[in-house]
Amino acid sequence: MPIVSRPDFLPGLPKWSRKTLFALALFGICFAFAFPVLWLILTSLRPESGVYYVHRGTEFTLASFAEVLTDDRIVSAFLNSALISTLATIFSLLVTVSSGYMLSRFTGPASRIWFGTIYVFRCIPYISWVLPLYFVTQSWGLYDTYTGLLLPHVAVHICFFSWLMKGFFDGIDPSMEYAAMIDGCTRWGAFIRVAIPSALPAISALAVLCWLFTWNEFLFALILTGNRVPMITVVMAQFVTEMGLRWNLMAATAVMALVPAFLVALFGQKYVIRGLRI
Amino acid sequence: MAAISLSKLNKHYGSLFHAVKDVDLEIADKEFVALVGPSGCGKSTTLRMIAGLEDITSGDIRIGNRVVNDLPPRDRDIAMVFQNYALYQHMSVYDNLAFGLRNKKTSEAEIKAAIDRAAGMLGLHELLARKPKQLSGGQQQRVALGRCIVRNPEVFLFDEPLSNLDAKLRAQMRIEIKRLHAAIPTTSVFVTHDQVEAMTLGDRVVIMRDGRVQQVGTPLQVYGKPANKFVAGFIGAPAMNFVNVTVRSDGVATTVEADGLKLTVSGADARALAAYHGKPVIMGARPEHLALGEGAPGASFDAHVEVVEQLGSEILLETKVGSHGITVARVPAETVIARGDRVRVSAQPGRLHFFDPETELPITG
Repeated sequence: MPIVSRPDFLPGLPKWSRKTLFALALFGICFAFAFPVLWLILTSLRPESGVYYVHRGTEFTLASFAEVLTDDRIVSAFLNSALISTLATIFSLLVTVSSGYMLSRFTGPASRIWFGTIYVFRCIPYISWVLPLYFVTQSWGLYDTYTGLLLPHVAVHICFFSWLMKGFFDGIDPSMEYAAMIDGCTRWGAFIRVAIPSALPAISALAVLCWLFTWNEFLFALILTGNRVPMITVVMAQFVTEMGLRWNLMAATAVMALVPAFLVALFGQKYVIRGLRI
Repeated sequence: MAAISLSKLNKHYGSLFHAVKDVDLEIADKEFVALVGPSGCGKSTTLRMIAGLEDITSGDIRIGNRVVNDLPPRDRDIAMVFQNYALYQHMSVYDNLAFGLRNKKTSEAEIKAAIDRAAGMLGLHELLARKPKQLSGGQQQRVALGRCIVRNPEVFLFDEPLSNLDAKLRAQMRIEIKRLHAAIPTTSVFVTHDQVEAMTLGDRVVIMRDGRVQQVGTPLQVYGKPANKFVAGFIGAPAMNFVNVTVRSDGVATTVEADGLKLTVSGADARALAAYHGKPVIMGARPEHLALGEGAPGASFDAHVEVVEQLGSEILLETKVGSHGITVARVPAETVIARGDRVRVSAQPGRLHFFDPETELPITG
């Protein structure tokens, strides 16, 4: 972002000092967000003995990464997280896009009931879903399985993201779909061939959000999975052992967990911004 | 060959809103009919029912020989132009034009020929590779017209297609649509809230209000013989002046009188007003049928100029006659006149309209 000098920013000051202050403010904000990440990266590169003395030592090593990468449990947690995030994104988009479209275009009783349902579920605090879900997954034999984790995630996504999707479709002129219906499409055809392509930036934005949401999710992963389907967010927290805190390993895992999220956010940014603007 | 016939057409939204009420309308093959009325009068709903985008509550719609009540839009063989163009934003102009034909499984060679022809008529050749976003409003609407032409449908439907364009472009597109209809005579229904568009484009004009058809007729008929006060006020620009007057008769001459105004009526008007002696009626006078200066005996009155609108080609005067505001049009542009002047205004004999104040129907002999 270019450092702009806004005329209404401290109007009494000369231009150069306004620019400087503005730059300092920006730097301060960036620093506040970036510092924990920097600290994390620094910690991950320190030997175990050095993590408490980050500011003093000069010894750096990649040993933590090596140790983490050879740990089967952590590697499989990575794969699990990636798989669950991707599947959750795909399945929830399938539902969210059509449900958001219905909420936007149809006003019948079905649409109103659906709207009410997701509204109610959205109002329930996230944490109060977890315990009932634990019992349900237990009794259905889904505890600690992909399905047992995937379904709750998709359900949450539907409740949270149908609204966003409705907003996107509200911003798209429906006469395009009417034109398509006159031009030979069915109602579904108009949705698939005209509405979805026009909403593609928004859908991409939603995909990025969905993916990051699941990748970063901790609570469901903690309660609904055990040893068979470890997730990266849970595994990361398990370096707190009775033998002590393994800060360096935790940091190394965290840095690695950051990378895919960072990449998705980086490449998705363009769509997110464009999509949220619709 | 496709005439359109609407019979006893009704549209209810829920139990509260009755949008279209018992509309009967026969549109001949190749006829251009303009549906006009203020917003919320049911004209767009009627059009959307013809298109099949809106369910009908009761009544019948026929296109050609088929009752199309339950046919989806794609099976009605119609094409529609929308107010906001409704071009497929993610497709090029060429693909927009080809979309309908591809759905009909037309061969690419035929599609190309059809698009070539339409592009030639509308001057779209340089635009074919562009995306709709890269076009101006007028160009987008031309593409939307092209999308209709290439399909070669039985019926064209226009839903306020010129409303989003600026005044100059609107006049241009009006001519373009007229030219198009002459080149490809196709049954057309044109919805607009602009009476000028309706009058200039329509072979016949349908005036609607509150879901009901008020009058169907040629532009000249609806202008000259409005079916009620609403039509009289809606058609014509500037709008007709209405003055509440009382009819008086001294046995020889019939006069209509209001505060500051006394006009003698004769002939057919006098005979028509015979039943209203001593009673109030509404007099309608079109601004263009009023002129400055002394006219026929008993046809003139004094007016007080309040606003002078110089249009270059003519002057519009807003005047006050007693307590009534009266607009006078067609005053020569060179006339020297200013706010506050007192002028003599005369009405063209036989061009006055009279309406019953209760039924608002015209009083005719």
